[in-house]
Amino acid sequence: MLDCRNLVVTYESTPVLQNLSIYIDAGEIVALIGPSGSGKTTLLRCIAGLEVVDSGTIHLNGEEITTRSANLRRIGLVFQDNQLFPHLNVARNISYSLKIQGMKQKLIDEKVTEALELVGLTHLSQREVFKLSGGEAKRIAVARALVAQPKVLLLDEPLSGLDKELHARLLDDLGNLLRLRGTTAVHVTHDQHEANAIADRVLDIRNLMSF
Amino acid sequence: MITSYRSTSKWLAVVPVVAMLTFVVAPALNIFIISLNFDSFAILTAQTTRSVVWFTMWQASISTILVVFFAIPIAAVTANFDFFGRRALISLISVPFILPTVVVGVAFLEFLPTSIHQSASAIIIAHIYFNFGLVVRIISSRWQQINPDLDDVARTLGASRTRLFLTVTLPLLKNSLRSAGLLVFLMCFTSYGVVRILGGPARSTIETEIYFRAMQLGDVSGALILSILQLVVVGVLILLTTQFGTTKSAELSQMVFSRIRKPQTSGQIIFITSVASISASVVIMPLVSVVRRSILIGQKINFSIWHSIFTDEEIFKSLMTSLKYAVLTIIVSTTIGLFGACAVIYGSARYRFLNLLTALPVVVSAVTLGLGLIITFDVNPIDWRGAWLMMPIAHCLVAIPIVTRIISPTIRDLPNGLRDASQTLGATTWQMWRTIDLRIIKPALVSAAAIACAVSLGEFGASSFLVRRNNETLPLMISRLLGRPGEIIQAQAYAIATLLIVACVVIIGVVDHLGTEKH
Repeated sequence: MLDCRNLVVTYESTPVLQNLSIYIDAGEIVALIGPSGSGKTTLLRCIAGLEVVDSGTIHLNGEEITTRSANLRRIGLVFQDNQLFPHLNVARNISYSLKIQGMKQKLIDEKVTEALELVGLTHLSQREVFKLSGGEAKRIAVARALVAQPKVLLLDEPLSGLDKELHARLLDDLGNLLRLRGTTAVHVTHDQHEANAIADRVLDIRNLMSF
Repeated sequence: MITSYRSTSKWLAVVPVVAMLTFVVAPALNIFIISLNFDSFAILTAQTTRSVVWFTMWQASISTILVVFFAIPIAAVTANFDFFGRRALISLISVPFILPTVVVGVAFLEFLPTSIHQSASAIIIAHIYFNFGLVVRIISSRWQQINPDLDDVARTLGASRTRLFLTVTLPLLKNSLRSAGLLVFLMCFTSYGVVRILGGPARSTIETEIYFRAMQLGDVSGALILSILQLVVVGVLILLTTQFGTTKSAELSQMVFSRIRKPQTSGQIIFITSVASISASVVIMPLVSVVRRSILIGQKINFSIWHSIFTDEEIFKSLMTSLKYAVLTIIVSTTIGLFGACAVIYGSARYRFLNLLTALPVVVSAVTLGLGLIITFDVNPIDWRGAWLMMPIAHCLVAIPIVTRIISPTIRDLPNGLRDASQTLGATTWQMWRTIDLRIIKPALVSAAAIACAVSLGEFGASSFLVRRNNETLPLMISRLLGRPGEIIQAQAYAIATLLIVACVVIIGVVDHLGTEKH
């Protein structure tokens, strides 16, 4: 499914990823752990096409996508701080990718409702995003990424900064949601417990690199 | 409100309030009152007035649209990419905005083919040149407040770079585009120096028509009514834009993100190189043509003109007058601007009216200000029409809105904890202000002083009304010399313009250097 081989990324002569290789099966949820600055976010950005690799290859479903533009990869990314578009309301945030695909408005409305039902927030469709609570914003960010039907979903510490109770609830919900839809996902976290709870496989990024 | 300084606010407010009421509000009201007694409102329906108003409107609209259009790619480059010479480019494109309008006019008189002199195109081109650096700065600083992660999200959701710009960047820049557009429209609507130099007798804006009627036709009543017309249009525009320009508070944070990164693709490198080199050339070429003309007589290089600049008694006197007024403007406008900014920020909400009061000279426009001053201070014991002091007063009034807006953000952003720490360590209120506030706002004060200097050196609108035999400043002298025949005389005008260009380049260098130090 997703196959990264010997990725090398260097920032101003400081190596960030050194010969990193990772393989993820279709429908598998992989948790990636490692200390700060170990290159977890850089790896996600490379997979998403937001960072250029110095060398190495990335294959998705057998097709090489190493130099493919981010908007053509169909790889979703959820940020720690959600990054909902502040000038769009909830429904418009979710429908962003569908509009780009040129989908008809009626179908868009159906898909948005479906996505909101999935995260249990149908009543918030017209709300301004800066009026959402932390948990609501997180669910909308996930719904927005999933509605684009990404081949792989990348989650960059999506649950950090939440209080204990909300963290536990969202962790359950997120795990169930990904499994229900059979989404292939890479979940980056600092928290070993969170990694064990959500993932089929837990990998330490330091063990993926050969020096 | 800053509790420790609260009691000083009322004293700080006295000077700016008195200055603005006396020299801006009273003359503006006087224009209204005198006009009511005139039977000259018929001027508003005259064909000439209608064509002047129409020309003023459309040239300002076209200029604004084109300025924003050209500024966006440059703002994209300066807000997003780190490249060799980035800071120098930002400084360079800011030079035209602080150049005296007369110098911009003179530069394009020399740079543009004679076939388009005295045309609307020449005026619009000069307006674009004069304003695009300001718009780049406004848009670029807003652009840097857009979190780059939003771009990444949009890209991973399938947006191409064009789509990302149209659906995320542009909507988030909407308010800054609106403010920049309004500012440019106002500058072009009330443009005076550029239109007088490049428009000739055939092209007149309301501002030049006010001067023409008052000073050349002796039709003061007509000039006053046109002033009111301009005041009303500008006031309505500002009201409308502030009314519809409310921002959703959470759309943009006040943070500046590290969007700036090295270009990654060859396409980006080509884009940056093209935009940077074209914009730098556009700024430099008209200025080079001014310098070239100052040393060319009969197609031969001749430096004698430059010798005459410093030996000709008349020119030297103008130079000294300009410098004297610049020093006065620096001292007075920076002091009043500092007092005004401190009074608003240190005091309670009721001092916020000072924001509006200190912005009034922008609404009133320089020419109307000049006209208002000479018709107001014309009876004993305040018959100051012949007093040399009137011109530096006008320069100060034009500089105060800018000075206040440079100083205010620095005082507002100063963390109150620093003052608290100073107080708990035993500092008195004065010691606290001197050692904390003053130390931190010093770079902003120097920048404000530098800009005030540029404003004074280039002021032309109000000065045209207030000039007397013995106090001609450099821009006025340039305008007068250009109206006289003779290659040497014309070259002298270009040499003076070159002096002003050098002064402005130094000033923008100082301001940008201090801005970087502050960061």
